[in-house]
Amino acid sequence: MAFFLETLIGGLMAGMLYSLVALGFVLIYKASGVFNFAQGAMVLFAALAMARFSEWTNAALGGDSLILANVIAFVGAGVVMFIVAWLIERLALRNLVNQEGATLLMATLGIAYVLEGVGQTLFGSEIYKIDVGMPKDPVMMLENVFEGGILINKEDFYAALIAAVLVALLWVFFQKTSTGRALRAVADDHQAALSVGIPLNRIWVIVWCVAGVAALVAGIIWGSKLGVQFSLATVALRALPVVILGGLTSVPGAILGGLIIGVGEKLSEVYIGPYVGGGIEIWFAYMLALIFLLFRPQGLFGEKIIDRV
Amino acid sequence: MSKKIGDVILDLQNISLRFGGVKALIDISFDVREHEIRAIIGPNGAGKSSMLNVINGVYHPQEGKILFRGEERKRMHPHMAAAQGISRTFQNIALFKGMSVLDNIMTGRNLKMKSNLLLQAIWWGPARNEELEHRAKVEEIIDFLEIQHIRKTPVGRLPYGLQKRVDLGRALAMEPQILLLDEPMAGMNVEEKQDMCRFILDVNDQFGTTIVLIEHDMSVVMDLSDRVVVLDYGQKIGDGDPDEVRSSPEVIKAYLGVGH
Repeated sequence: MAFFLETLIGGLMAGMLYSLVALGFVLIYKASGVFNFAQGAMVLFAALAMARFSEWTNAALGGDSLILANVIAFVGAGVVMFIVAWLIERLALRNLVNQEGATLLMATLGIAYVLEGVGQTLFGSEIYKIDVGMPKDPVMMLENVFEGGILINKEDFYAALIAAVLVALLWVFFQKTSTGRALRAVADDHQAALSVGIPLNRIWVIVWCVAGVAALVAGIIWGSKLGVQFSLATVALRALPVVILGGLTSVPGAILGGLIIGVGEKLSEVYIGPYVGGGIEIWFAYMLALIFLLFRPQGLFGEKIIDRV
Repeated sequence: MSKKIGDVILDLQNISLRFGGVKALIDISFDVREHEIRAIIGPNGAGKSSMLNVINGVYHPQEGKILFRGEERKRMHPHMAAAQGISRTFQNIALFKGMSVLDNIMTGRNLKMKSNLLLQAIWWGPARNEELEHRAKVEEIIDFLEIQHIRKTPVGRLPYGLQKRVDLGRALAMEPQILLLDEPMAGMNVEEKQDMCRFILDVNDQFGTTIVLIEHDMSVVMDLSDRVVVLDYGQKIGDGDPDEVRSSPEVIKAYLGVGH
């Protein structure tokens, strides 16, 4: 039982990390109806900025205060993501108002390549580390309930906590504020949004900024686990099944999707893996996503696709 | 006419609009007076929708001046037009399909919401009162348009006629000074047309809203409007009250067809 719980909790926390990346997809889809191929590149870009800024400020401060250096680096990386959002709107999106979804999709593909290239040009292409002082040591919990207790990775635990807070904030932002309503309106119809006085350009900067911050948080957490390197951009691929499962338009869906996939991966690996020679963890998520696409293409919480003919 | 029609609110002078070599509008001038219903008619491709889009700021005419309340208007975007009190509906309905009727109409209030994002998020203090105020206004519009029964329905599921009504509701929620209606009755059956006519007249009557409308249905135009502009191939061929326009030989030739 203790082992099962341990696997379950490990899965939940890993799932939360997937959700964090998935969230970026959902944000942009909700607010512009575009599947943003550049989300992975944004995670990489943000993580690179964060890693290098913290390295530089730490050196400038003489290595005295890791926290201060990280805070400055975080703000700096946030500003960088704001500039990125502004540039994307200025150079790409502004010229694509009222265009087909496919056009915008291709544009994000282009943005992804530009971000990957520019990111490595500006910040270097080595492997960097992000050290935000997260405790790496695992802790034992519930020792008096189960024999031997449950082993929990502290780092994962804090990461999951941060992800949860971020999600709660975003949900409130989308559902309860007039800006959130404006974002949803823009996603549905550009022309109509303009006609009720919603400034499309500003809305796009806002949403890419928010997605940039989500990418930054994801980049920091994943970066401190895996190291900041080019392969971080492919983290987005692991979040793909999550958004398919949760629905592209739902913030809570991204979370639940992440949790289901995280838990599913771990449990299937541990309990089914031995019979089929292991390696389930690698394809489990995609398999699940495929099944969902067959039977419930809008995902768990996505808007049902209604078309009057 | 017993209605109190006011001064000129919108004055279009010598407007010309080209798309490459295509001349959509050629040297068109007309004005719109406060509180009146002004119709723009003409055969397909006459430039009616282009005219509306010029007023709305979607298109920018190469020549000509637009005076709004006596002031010359600079190059502007549709969302600025909205801020100045010009709202519109669309020929091919452009609603937010995933959102409920209530939310759709609520977006019309977006510009009027002034309170802090943070306060809105925690649903507190002035933000809460403001939201409630706007909700009350939206409910008023819903009552007015007789769509109480579908308030919570996602717009994508509604039949065409009702969608058109929601479109009008959203435009009304902005409490516009000028309401632009692009073929408000297109594709409707007789009953729906009658309803829509009634709503347009009531809006004009009760709120004093100035209305500029494009419509194909001649009987509707003649009944509704105070004055009519007739366009044909981008040129103005008639302007005046419905009777005048109806008896103008040029208009009869171009639009109504000889022997009508």
